[in-house]
Amino acid sequence: MMLKKISGFSFLLLLALVMTACVALRAEWTPPLQHPADAGLGKRPPICTDCHEARNENFNWQRFNHDTFFGDNHRQQAYQGSRVCSMCHQQNFCNDCHASTSVELTPSVKDPSATYRRSPHRGDWITRHRIEGSLDPTSCIRCHRNPKTATTCAPCHG
Amino acid sequence: MKLRLSSSRATVMAGLALIVGMPVTLPAVEIHIQSDTRIYGMERDIGGVEGQMVAPGYEYLRIDAGQLQEKGFSFHSYGWGRLDFADNEFFEHREDGELLYGYLQYADPESGLDLRVGRQTVAGGVGNDAIDGLQLSGDLGPWLVALVYGGQPVGFSSDNGRTDDLIYGGRLGIHQGRFGELGVSYKNLENNNVIAEEALGLDLSLFLPANISLSGFSNRNLDSKGWAEHSYELQIPLNPVLIRPYFGEYDYEHYFGTGVNTVNPFRVLAINGEKLRVIGLDTTWKYSDAIDLALKIKGNDYDRMNGSEYASGLVTWHGAELTQVGVEVGYMKGDLDKQKYLLTRLFGYLDGLEEYGIGFMSGDVVWARYDQPIYGKDDSLFVSLGVGRDFLDEAVEVELSADYSRDPYFDADLRGLFSVTYRYDHE
Ligand code: HEC
Ligand code: HEC
Ligand code: HEC
Ligand code: HEC
Ligand code: HEC
Repeated sequence: MMLKKISGFSFLLLLALVMTACVALRAEWTPPLQHPADAGLGKRPPICTDCHEARNENFNWQRFNHDTFFGDNHRQQAYQGSRVCSMCHQQNFCNDCHASTSVELTPSVKDPSATYRRSPHRGDWITRHRIEGSLDPTSCIRCHRNPKTATTCAPCHG
Repeated sequence: MKLRLSSSRATVMAGLALIVGMPVTLPAVEIHIQSDTRIYGMERDIGGVEGQMVAPGYEYLRIDAGQLQEKGFSFHSYGWGRLDFADNEFFEHREDGELLYGYLQYADPESGLDLRVGRQTVAGGVGNDAIDGLQLSGDLGPWLVALVYGGQPVGFSSDNGRTDDLIYGGRLGIHQGRFGELGVSYKNLENNNVIAEEALGLDLSLFLPANISLSGFSNRNLDSKGWAEHSYELQIPLNPVLIRPYFGEYDYEHYFGTGVNTVNPFRVLAINGEKLRVIGLDTTWKYSDAIDLALKIKGNDYDRMNGSEYASGLVTWHGAELTQVGVEVGYMKGDLDKQKYLLTRLFGYLDGLEEYGIGFMSGDVVWARYDQPIYGKDDSLFVSLGVGRDFLDEAVEVELSADYSRDPYFDADLRGLFSVTYRYDHE
């Protein structure tokens, strides 16, 4: 157990060293740190392909289109492309919905006027969650995994 | 434990090395501050006494400093704190605030290597956690992209101290702009010296002809030795329609059974032996420049329970900027009557109302009807209205809103919110 831990950890250290050594090997293309400010994005969730082609030899815009259901399903994109997200979003934008540590307020209570977002848990959620939570609880643990946020659930779930 | 000490010490050392070793060409420091103050008012029953005033004030503060427009050194932080104006027992068992992140970042302009030290979120494959530690990411040549991180998990700090808590992991991806990306990720999380999660992930995106793409994620629980999840989806653009068929398979034992980590209600789910298969189809149709139609159909199939389905339809009309009005109607058809409900939502946001003396107006109405009454009520109504405007070139934004709710828990509940957002930029 201990041995495995050390080997796992040193493997990562090794990887970090290799990475540092590899900085000489350049990537041919990386997304910019920030999406160009003069692109005229506006405040709306962007449909990337309104301004960009669907894909080229460097990048696939199509998958990042913020269409009606993007607020419900962006995880496949985020698993691979968090530096794409950070071109336009600061981390705090994600934190307000993602209870990776304690945030206390549900997204729709924190920003009730952001009706243009698909904030989870609107309306009668405290009643309805028992149904959604029993029929498909898989999404719940993605945000309610750690003991710190479980204090919200403890009064009823022990 | 030696290893742990050394891991947190390594964090501090690397941080110091970073600061000491940094080239002393200090470019202009940009500063961005955003302060969000929110004051709520509502009535709650506390300790058997009815209708007591609850009035928390929240402050959310974000500070970014350093080189923000270009690669280089920068500092980023975000946190919140609560002041209880009514000062009663309502918030007794809760934390009064939290630093959500606070880290120093160095993005190397030459190589693109990115180093972060401090409290931060890591994201990549199975890693999706808040850590106090270090993360290094970057491209290794034209096809490889890597991320490694290590430190202490923030979520466990309250559980029995944290000297014996540890998290580390990483992701290695191989990508090609035209074809897609394949990633392998690993995470190990220990709470009080016991494995809380050990997971291996595979993430995939494959770009097929006709602009179709396939994305997927598989997650293996290395602690309980079984596949926790396989989720795969296709995006098929048939302009102006886009369809997204998806499939997911979950084994609760391995998905929810994450060692000592599992908190209730998930602990119960981990031992009930259920397996879930999800099949769904999301369709979005850009009907015209201003109108979007969308349809969601989802079916759940289980080993133990009987199947359930959900369907919903949505129409949204868009105006300038954030202006929009929409309606959504959905029906959840669980196997039992107590698992069935109708959900309707009417929402709107009117932007650019300066000529009427306000900036925006928002409205949200959610009405749900339960096939079997819950606590004697067979429906619920939620109404939220808000107005706001900004001053001083968007540096200050003021907002007022009120939420009304009549549901199985409350006969009539009213919650008011007053918020002030202040932004400061120095370039
Ligand atoms: C309103 C138009 C508009 C929208 C919408 C838009 N972009 Fe852009 N984007 C631009 C412009 C203009 C540029 C700078 C010119 C260029 O590089 O194409 C740019 C540049 C980029 C670049 C850098 C390209 C390079 O080769 O360096 C990326 C990556 C990018 N955008 C991603 C996105 C993504 C992802 C979305 C959707 C979430 C999006 N954009 C939405 C206008 C837009
Ligand atoms: C080109 C800029 C751009 C990029 C790149 C981008 N976003 Fe967005 N995103 C926006 C804007 C603008 C909005 C609307 C603003 C708002 O909701 O406050 C938005 C809204 C969202 C929303 C709320 C949508 C809703 O309907 O509820 C989510 C969630 C989101 N983005 C996630 C992501 C993720 C995850 C990524 C990376 C995979 C990403 N974004 C990349 C600009 C971008
Ligand atoms: C409007 C609320 C909202 C915002 C803002 C938001 N998300 Fe999400 N996110 C969700 C929801 C809801 C889910 C769960 C969906 C599901 O089950 O697939 C989710 C799931 C995810 C997941 C999968 C989590 C896991 O453990 O598997 C990742 C990763 C993710 N989001 C990343 C981001 C990033 C990065 C941002 C910021 C750019 C962001 N999200 C902003 C609502 C949001
Ligand atoms: C995108 C992240 C996300 C997902 C996915 C998510 N939640 Fe939440 N949930 C939150 C946040 C953030 C809060 C407010 C902070 C807290 O309590 O931790 C919250 C609060 C709650 C609350 C308390 C609500 C209240 O009014 O007090 C319940 C109950 C809940 N969630 C149940 C669920 C269930 C059941 C699921 C799965 C069907 C789920 N959540 C999925 C983010 C999420
Ligand atoms: C006000 C009380 C209350 C709070 C707070 C609460 N729940 Fe529940 N929850 C319930 C009730 C009641 C049920 C239905 C139990 C049953 O049918 O056996 C339920 C059921 C569930 C289920 C379905 C479980 C199953 O075995 O079918 C999940 C998942 C769930 N809740 C998640 C959460 C999460 C996550 C939180 C915290 C973010 C939370 N709940 C907070 C009252 C609550």
